[in-house]
Amino acid sequence: MEGRVQHPPLLRPMDQRDIADGRRAVGAWPDALLTATAWALPTAFILVPLLLFLILGFFEIQGTEIVYRLTLKNYTRFFTDAGFLPTFISTCLLGLKVAAIAVVLGYPIAYLLASLRGRAKYTVAMFFAVPLLMSYIIKIYAIRSILGGNGFLNRSLLYLGVIDEPWTFLIFNLNAVMLTLAILLVPFAILPIFVALERIPRNLLEASADLGARPLLTFLTVILPLSLQGVVIGASLTFVLAIGDYVTPQMVGGIEGFTFGRIIYSQFGFGNNWPFGAALSVILLIPVLMAIVAADRAGRARYAT
Amino acid sequence: MMRLALPIQAALWIVAAFVLLLLYGPLFLAIFFSFFAFRSNRVQWDSFSFTAYARLMDNQRIIDALTNTFVVGVIAVALALVIGTLLALYHHAGRGRGRDLLQVVIYLPFLVPPIVTGLSLLIFFRQIDFERSLVTVVIGHTVFVLAVVYRNVLARLQTVSRTLVEASLDLGANRWQTFRYVLLPQLMTALLAAGILAFALSFDETLITLLVTGTKSTLPMWLWSMMRLGFTPDVNALVALVLAGTTLLCLLATRYLTKP
Repeated sequence: MEGRVQHPPLLRPMDQRDIADGRRAVGAWPDALLTATAWALPTAFILVPLLLFLILGFFEIQGTEIVYRLTLKNYTRFFTDAGFLPTFISTCLLGLKVAAIAVVLGYPIAYLLASLRGRAKYTVAMFFAVPLLMSYIIKIYAIRSILGGNGFLNRSLLYLGVIDEPWTFLIFNLNAVMLTLAILLVPFAILPIFVALERIPRNLLEASADLGARPLLTFLTVILPLSLQGVVIGASLTFVLAIGDYVTPQMVGGIEGFTFGRIIYSQFGFGNNWPFGAALSVILLIPVLMAIVAADRAGRARYAT
Repeated sequence: MMRLALPIQAALWIVAAFVLLLLYGPLFLAIFFSFFAFRSNRVQWDSFSFTAYARLMDNQRIIDALTNTFVVGVIAVALALVIGTLLALYHHAGRGRGRDLLQVVIYLPFLVPPIVTGLSLLIFFRQIDFERSLVTVVIGHTVFVLAVVYRNVLARLQTVSRTLVEASLDLGANRWQTFRYVLLPQLMTALLAAGILAFALSFDETLITLLVTGTKSTLPMWLWSMMRLGFTPDVNALVALVLAGTTLLCLLATRYLTKP
């Protein structure tokens, strides 16, 4: 990639060489070959691994060896063995709570951004977008160092004499996981809602005001319904990211904060049952797909005007 | 949007300030404690020093992890830029269900949770007996950031007027020349923005990397292993440096993203 691009003299007379080997020769790839070339890498490194992964869930493990005979054992084990289904449900609920917190905090901010003008709008928006690019593990670490039993918050409160014993309900349980994920994922909720609010045509709001609606009524009957697609997209995004995470629960969840993502991860670590882990991931994909479909539908929705 | 009543504006700003505090507060505290010690439940104001930073430079494992992260990031971004641009050009050049389907495949690693992307690659590498190393990390990152490049380039391609390309072809440039001298200059800022964004994503990638990495680790892996041990001023110093680097990247990216 070159840093500076020089514009060549585009206006030059066409000569015999150009006509002979020019555009036709270079552009004349057979359609099938072109298609095959385009598909080659995405197939090899995205489709094939995902398919292998889907299939692996239908094999089982005996001792330490994978037996390549199709079976539904992994899936029945998910329902029959204690612990898996309840963790799955509690993880989905956790995802819903995280999405709810993110949307509740994100909506007012998106609304504020949409009401700002000019430079201020994008400057403030950037402040909420920048943390998305900041190291994920560092953010968890920083949050944990505040919430922890030996963390900044507890030690300061102890010093100030507000408490006598360190608070322990802030760390190493599902609440800690929920709070941490909500903080990490809020920006993912703000941006789609902001985009949806920005898309609302101004004349709709003016019409509503002209027809005598007070601002609250305009908000409830015009703005809120039209921004719901952004809410759905933001909620889906945060939900998907929350339920698939396994690092955050591991770092702030302790023993109590066990989530489905951690169970899956452990199958590939000391649990060492890859087929079962693959089957569990497929089950994880069900709520994920539901969320993606919801977001896709919301994204396609057009104003019925 | 309509102008808001003052009390409502104030309320919205309060929520915004609260969330900003949640987003940035922990990070600033970490940076703060890279300079000051925290003993007997209070900040030791007279303990200001750069020793934590100096110790970082002596830690060969951190230097190695940083180098690995840069190497992986640069190669993965370069690969993603080339492949993503070609795929975007392919999609832009025609219509049809096949192209739309290919688009979905390209977006898949971004749509499914990272744990699924990571696991599928992990299984794939084991099935083809490919040992986990930095090479597998590069592949994982390329697959992950490809969608970013593809999306950015495609969005830009759709704004480039077709008449420009047609004019170029009519005036006798062949397709390569048209791409190189007409299209590429138009794509340049999109590629730069996508490249920076992709590098930032790769630099930070944890959930996929953790699954496909071999014995050599990238920075997030090293941080992950350190943080299980506890909090030290060294880690805080590293955190501060990484944050400074990311902020710089963000500023660069916005510079190019905001350019039309």
